[in-house]
Amino acid sequence: MKIAVPIKFVPDLVEELNIDSSGAALDTSWLRLIINEFDDHAIEQAILLKERGGAEVTIICAEGDGVDDILFNAAAKGADQLVKLMGSDAAMMNSHATARVLADFFKEIQPDLILTGVQAHNDLDGSVGALLAEYLGMPYVGYVAGVTAASGSVIARKEYPGGIIGEMEVKLPAVLGIQAAEQPPRYVAYSKINQVSKTVKIEERAISDLDSSGGATVGRMFKPEPAQRAEIIEGSPEEVADRMVGIFKELGVM
Amino acid sequence: MSYDTIKSIIVALALLVALGIFVRYAWQRLWVYLRRGQTSPKFSDWGERIKGLIVFVGAQWRLFRFRLPGIAHFFIFWGFLLLSLTILQAIAEGLMAFANPQFVLPVIGTWGPLAFVQDFFALFVVIAIGYGLYLRLIVNPERYKGSHRNQGVKVLTFILTIMLSLLVMNGLRINLNEDLLGRYRPISTLIGGLFVGLPEATQSIIEELCYWIHLGVVMLFLTELPQGKHFHIVTSIPNVLLRNLEPRGRLPVTKTSDGAAGVSKMEDFRWRTMLDLYTCTECGRCQDVCPAYNSSGLLSPKLLVMNLRRNLQERGAALSAKQTNGVLSKSLTGEIVGEEALWNCTTCYACDQECPLFIEHINPIVEMRRYLVLEGKMDKMLQDALANLGRYGNSLGQSDRMRAKWTQGLQPAVKDARREPVEYLWFVGDYASYSPTLTDVTRKTAEVFSKAGLNFGILFDAERNSGNDVRRAGEEGLFEMLMGKNMQALGKCKYETIVTTDPHTYNTLKNEYAWDGNRPRILHYTELLDQLVASGQLKFSKKLAAKVTYHDPCYLGRYNGVYDAPRRLLRAAGCEVVEMPRHGDRAFCCGAGGGRIWMEEKPGHARPAEIRIREAAALTGVQSFVVACPKDVTMFKDAVKTTGNESRLQVQDLIEFVQEAI
Ligand code: SF4
Ligand code: SF4
Repeated sequence: MKIAVPIKFVPDLVEELNIDSSGAALDTSWLRLIINEFDDHAIEQAILLKERGGAEVTIICAEGDGVDDILFNAAAKGADQLVKLMGSDAAMMNSHATARVLADFFKEIQPDLILTGVQAHNDLDGSVGALLAEYLGMPYVGYVAGVTAASGSVIARKEYPGGIIGEMEVKLPAVLGIQAAEQPPRYVAYSKINQVSKTVKIEERAISDLDSSGGATVGRMFKPEPAQRAEIIEGSPEEVADRMVGIFKELGVM
Repeated sequence: MSYDTIKSIIVALALLVALGIFVRYAWQRLWVYLRRGQTSPKFSDWGERIKGLIVFVGAQWRLFRFRLPGIAHFFIFWGFLLLSLTILQAIAEGLMAFANPQFVLPVIGTWGPLAFVQDFFALFVVIAIGYGLYLRLIVNPERYKGSHRNQGVKVLTFILTIMLSLLVMNGLRINLNEDLLGRYRPISTLIGGLFVGLPEATQSIIEELCYWIHLGVVMLFLTELPQGKHFHIVTSIPNVLLRNLEPRGRLPVTKTSDGAAGVSKMEDFRWRTMLDLYTCTECGRCQDVCPAYNSSGLLSPKLLVMNLRRNLQERGAALSAKQTNGVLSKSLTGEIVGEEALWNCTTCYACDQECPLFIEHINPIVEMRRYLVLEGKMDKMLQDALANLGRYGNSLGQSDRMRAKWTQGLQPAVKDARREPVEYLWFVGDYASYSPTLTDVTRKTAEVFSKAGLNFGILFDAERNSGNDVRRAGEEGLFEMLMGKNMQALGKCKYETIVTTDPHTYNTLKNEYAWDGNRPRILHYTELLDQLVASGQLKFSKKLAAKVTYHDPCYLGRYNGVYDAPRRLLRAAGCEVVEMPRHGDRAFCCGAGGGRIWMEEKPGHARPAEIRIREAAALTGVQSFVVACPKDVTMFKDAVKTTGNESRLQVQDLIEFVQEAI
């Protein structure tokens, strides 16, 4: 089975986020990027599948700071091929553009299964997985928390609220949006990454023109602003309820 | 054939068989099996090594840390050495019987003063063995739990028999006027007195019987010797001679040739470690002092060594027999030594320090952890901490840019050592920099440094975790990365001395960083302040009338021998220091070291820190539990709460007293 795992980098929330002078984007000079947590789980799930039944795992990521380390990290876990998408705006692609670039690539390498993080905290125009499935004409299941290989298909496990678990068979080729791998992403020792980085090659692939159409445009980006007027309602439950009904009427929502 | 000729033949045959068995086992163990191990670094500094042999084998120095058992062993050891000469005489006598039944070896069999000393030592050994049997059979202390008791008792009985038969034999020979040195043997004479009434012929038969018992048990003992814990009689001398002479705080490096680090099977250990395994006497001193054993009970350094030794034996035999499965397919980390046991070690050094024969525990534990880390087999919390350390340079997962946030608003401002030369470069450490409960103490430290007129600065966001515990958790590659970054930052600064808040940082900077012969002066803050008080640069204006007890951090005390400076400081500030029963080099670990602070504590066990707090709470009148390590503050504040001692004891950093007294 050929498994492809497209991953992306997102701003690290450990750092303070600042808005640049345009007022519509994050200030990149202070930004530090980190692998999208869900993508990390997608890698783990791919490696687990490989360990259980054999697979060839390809990891794909747009170029950027720290990307090589993450790719080598994945290789140390067991990934077979590492691909870096090169292009000046590679890191800034929106989900639509990313999905189009990936779709072109996947038409070439024809993976049986595509695993990707179900979402990222900076997705403004939907998640890459669903868009990718659309462009490739493949089935898509999101919020998957466990995958088992079957012949010509996979069983995807989803967890629903209330402790209900669903299992569905998905015909391959398919795209799955991973919410969580069956086990937390494993730790890779530094010595292993160092060793891999000396032996494994990262394949670089140039991106031709980007097509971002269909994405969202940011009008204004701002930090949460404290509400100007806040009223603390006090009194017995009945009094509070009366006052609230009054407010709703004033606002015209009731 | 005369009786004497037969005697000679039997003695010769017995000797041949016993020596044959002894040599076969010893050769197999010390040559065949040990050679399968990895090479050990070259041994040098022979003067020091021989000195150690005199002090630790000859004078049995470390054994006296357990007073009575130590004294008993001292006499058994020296008795054994002195009386092995009488054994030689007995053997020679038997071998030569066909020619001369009265044969005596020159000097050994003819020198009166030697006979005198031997006579007394035989008695001492009997008394010591009696005590040993009493300990094993009646007292049976916790430290013997898991040791081979029957084997111990058997060998004690052997020695007792050898001694008693010797004394009786000598006594009877004196009665029969066969002993040239009779007047040098008062004890034997006394014992011989018990038999005086018997007819000479009977005495003669008993005497001959004693000879055979004496010799027979000696031969039995010889065959038993290489098969169990008593092999230490043979291996302890090379083991002490070839002991690790590196500073305590320097962990041996792993073999990194092919990126495969650590130990995953017995043959990955160095042969020197294997020799350690054969040398263990199962005395349990290490287990007795181990905080992991005394809290969760999941790890006993003694059982660790014993299990490894058994594996060395079984694997050795299986490999020699060209087997391919069975014991060979058992995993070292998991089946032979439990993973949980390996992760429970706090690397407190109590066991290594206690072992009379310099057997190392931390080194093999870390080697096996290295392998587990490589396999990704570890606690989730530890995994997160290591990931954070790799990414942000601190285990708390905070931005490295925020490392010096605690300095905000301090007057005078803390200097940036990267920008201007300073005399003291203060290596602050993770917890002191980030932990919200500790930054207050860190600010007080800065205040004290300023008031003492020190020209000091810090590395701000260029500082990384020093890696001491990263290394001990088994993540060698990450340690090297952190060390590299710190060395790079330090390399760009101008300073004379490094001062650390954290004893763990202190340890690795001092003992493990690659200074290439240019190590600067490295001080713990307590050492520095102590020196400033002595030189008069730091003066106290107040005398605090507090009654306190001081907890020695493992990495300051046991690892680096700093015991007095913190106590002198406290006294200079006016405190009365009351010692806990376990203090100084016997201090009981807080449980945070070796990466334990990043791991989950299994519920349902007393934690080391709680045991320690109870120890302190039992001291009358002591209100403060003083520590000199940021990790201790975290561990003990928690333990004070969980043991319900909040109103009784206050956990305070030493710097708080200094700051108050200035
Ligand atoms: S170093 Fe401390 S915790 Fe580890 S085995 Fe030795 S005594 Fe126990
Ligand atoms: S390792 Fe040392 S202290 Fe521990 S039981 Fe063996 S001989 Fe005794």
